[in-house]
Amino acid sequence: MAIAKNLTVFDVYERAKTGLKVDENDWDFKIIPQTASRLKEKWGIKMDKKTIIPTDRKLMDNLFQAGLEMLVECGIYCIDTKRVIKYSREEVLAALKTAPKRAIYGEGKQQVVLEPRNHKDKKPPVIQGGPTGAPCSEEMFLAIHQSYAQEPLVDTIVDGVLQTIKGFDPTPGSPWEIAAVKSEAQLVRLAQDRAGRAGMGL
Amino acid sequence: MRQSDSHEVSQLNELKIDVGALIFTAHYFLAGDMVMCEQMPIYGGYAGGLEETTIVDVATTINAFVMTHATWHLDGPVHVRWGITTAREALAVAGHCAMAIEANTNLMLGNQYYTIAGPCTVMCLLETAAQAMTDTASGREVLSGVAASKGVATNYTTGMEARMMAEAARAVAGMETEKVNAILDKLVALYEKDYKTAPKGKPFEECYDTLTLTPSQEYLEVYDKAVEILTGLGLDYWRKM
Repeated sequence: MAIAKNLTVFDVYERAKTGLKVDENDWDFKIIPQTASRLKEKWGIKMDKKTIIPTDRKLMDNLFQAGLEMLVECGIYCIDTKRVIKYSREEVLAALKTAPKRAIYGEGKQQVVLEPRNHKDKKPPVIQGGPTGAPCSEEMFLAIHQSYAQEPLVDTIVDGVLQTIKGFDPTPGSPWEIAAVKSEAQLVRLAQDRAGRAGMGL
Repeated sequence: MRQSDSHEVSQLNELKIDVGALIFTAHYFLAGDMVMCEQMPIYGGYAGGLEETTIVDVATTINAFVMTHATWHLDGPVHVRWGITTAREALAVAGHCAMAIEANTNLMLGNQYYTIAGPCTVMCLLETAAQAMTDTASGREVLSGVAASKGVATNYTTGMEARMMAEAARAVAGMETEKVNAILDKLVALYEKDYKTAPKGKPFEECYDTLTLTPSQEYLEVYDKAVEILTGLGLDYWRKM
């Protein structure tokens, strides 16, 4: 059935306020494991951990259908409102159909094109180098990130986190958190510039 | 941040969200930003075993594009016992999820890297190579890392681990899946027995000259040793240069 319009985050928020009330422990320890287990049986899914990448197309399709069904059946639990955000199958499929198929990551000479590749593609993936959220000291933050930016095969940077800011703990929800996050972005840009990679994505 | 940077929003384990993430998303959406939606399903966690975690991973991946207007999804299946993405089970979840999504959509996917061993160790580089092979040969678009030493030790990350991630990706891009699987099985077997004694490695300031930003001779030799092992397993990327 056709949908009136694609979902937006605003629709999602409204559903987070009006969806079914569920206890979080029930969600974690009953709804998620029981639904996943039932869908595994329903779709006859069996994996062998010695085969890390599947070659059986039916297994791939069944995994996709089971995942899609899991999302539609369970929805998403909002931990603040204690309610479940539900979608129709049609809404999910419409979002997948219209999802981005191309993006420009970064600017100028350093920009890279992000577009779908497949498992047999000779084109390598985009390389996003960096500490990936690992803690870095204030003293070493710039040098660590420059060590990634100077690697020629690194296309973009994923930053680490400052362990302190001006010596203070950047506690979440505090003004120091904002100072730390802003400094991280500024220092990554500086690291990219110092490596001769101005315009590189972050 | 520029519109062409990836703006991160994170889902919670498993199939959960908080209102703060929706507020972030609203800002990104209205600003026309590129959005990267991240989530790390836990193998052995709420969902359960291999198949159940993969089903949840597929659901979570799809949700990124429904709930958060994602341009791309950043995965990171993590092993509940070891806290890493390079364990065999975590790789199998990631590999199966990516192939299930690729077979049925054109969504753009990434994966993030958390190794148990630290910088300047052969084990860290082999873990990194195994995941880069998995992600590349299962069609992922972005490799993001590496948070060595499980991403919890201060300054235990360097550009050399990203070099391995990039080179191992190039080594298998276009390779037949069966061949990648055969190499992966042997490669993972080389390190998976050593989790309890995994080397922490060295912090950045002992891996690089911090003024010239040159990797140490020791790290270059460690890198060469890892390359020698990977070449012996059948990756000829380094022979071609």
